[in-house]
Amino acid sequence: MRIRLEQYGAILTSRPAGREAALAMKALLRPAADETIELDFTGVVSVGPSWLDEVLSALRADYGRGRVVCLPTKNASVAESLKVIDADPGRPGF
Amino acid sequence: MKTETRSKIIEIIRKKNGTRPIELVKQLEITPQAIHRHLKLLAVAGLIESHGRGPLTRYFIAGKPQLDRVRRWLASAAKPAENPEEFVCRTRDVFTARLPRLALFAQAGLNEDDAPLVIAAAGEVGNNCFDHNLGSWQDVPGCWFEAQATGGRLWLCIADRGQGIFNSLVRADPALADEQAALAAAFERTLSGRAPENRGNGLKFVRNVVNGGEGRGLACRSGAGLADYGRLGPECRAELAGFPEKPGGAVTLILWRLA
Repeated sequence: MRIRLEQYGAILTSRPAGREAALAMKALLRPAADETIELDFTGVVSVGPSWLDEVLSALRADYGRGRVVCLPTKNASVAESLKVIDADPGRPGF
Repeated sequence: MKTETRSKIIEIIRKKNGTRPIELVKQLEITPQAIHRHLKLLAVAGLIESHGRGPLTRYFIAGKPQLDRVRRWLASAAKPAENPEEFVCRTRDVFTARLPRLALFAQAGLNEDDAPLVIAAAGEVGNNCFDHNLGSWQDVPGCWFEAQATGGRLWLCIADRGQGIFNSLVRADPALADEQAALAAAFERTLSGRAPENRGNGLKFVRNVVNGGEGRGLACRSGAGLADYGRLGPECRAELAGFPEKPGGAVTLILWRLA
């Protein structure tokens, strides 16, 4: 199932906002067993690693790293955020 | 002779960090018409820029940020008398609401592909002000957030009157020796003053972003600590060198070359 992140704002920064978004996502998500959860950045202007880390950590903790996928995007802030998030192996769900 | 006069004008503007035409008339003892002619030529050449209108017009060196107000705000030993609402974001909501304005610098030449990075970098630095100083403000809560486009460059300044980076990080790592070491740790290690929470990647992201392109740089001062990153980092460092070394608080200056 796909989550359209623009539903959570055009500019996605800060941990408190990411935490709140993750809680809202988890309340809405009803994935089938082994169904992939796709994060769609279409329409998002900018993403910071703090926001994305909160969302990915929460979703990966519940569904596992392999089932949470960031869809390809040309938005450079997404790629740069993922670089620092995935460089830290100590995070929950990693 | 004319070139010499223009050199003098530039020198005066540089020394005074901006000046009005009338002040140049008095100092150089030449006619207002001649001064305006020189100023116009210097502006066309891209060496100076005018701000304001009519008799309040002031001329500044193009490409240099105007940081006097934030420097005074940060340096004030007591609660600052001036807390301009257009710059001081007392809550995270106000800061977040102002971030989208950075996209408007596309009109000044901010590349469409760069805008997400500029916004995200500013967002990380600004949100850090709130994350690490909640309950520890010296007096004024929040952060100073200002953006200036001048001479084909975008300058972002984010400052706070919080506890300072050393005081925040030394709780997580008591081995940190001083403010300089704390600054290096903030930008280069996954370490957070909010430990045991899993945090501490925001400033690494900002460092990576400014290191990822030729026309980018940043400097950060917190107390006696001063660090810079990116090709244009030394220019940012030079601007922050004159900021106060007093403990507490932090100021980050990001520079981005426009198209």
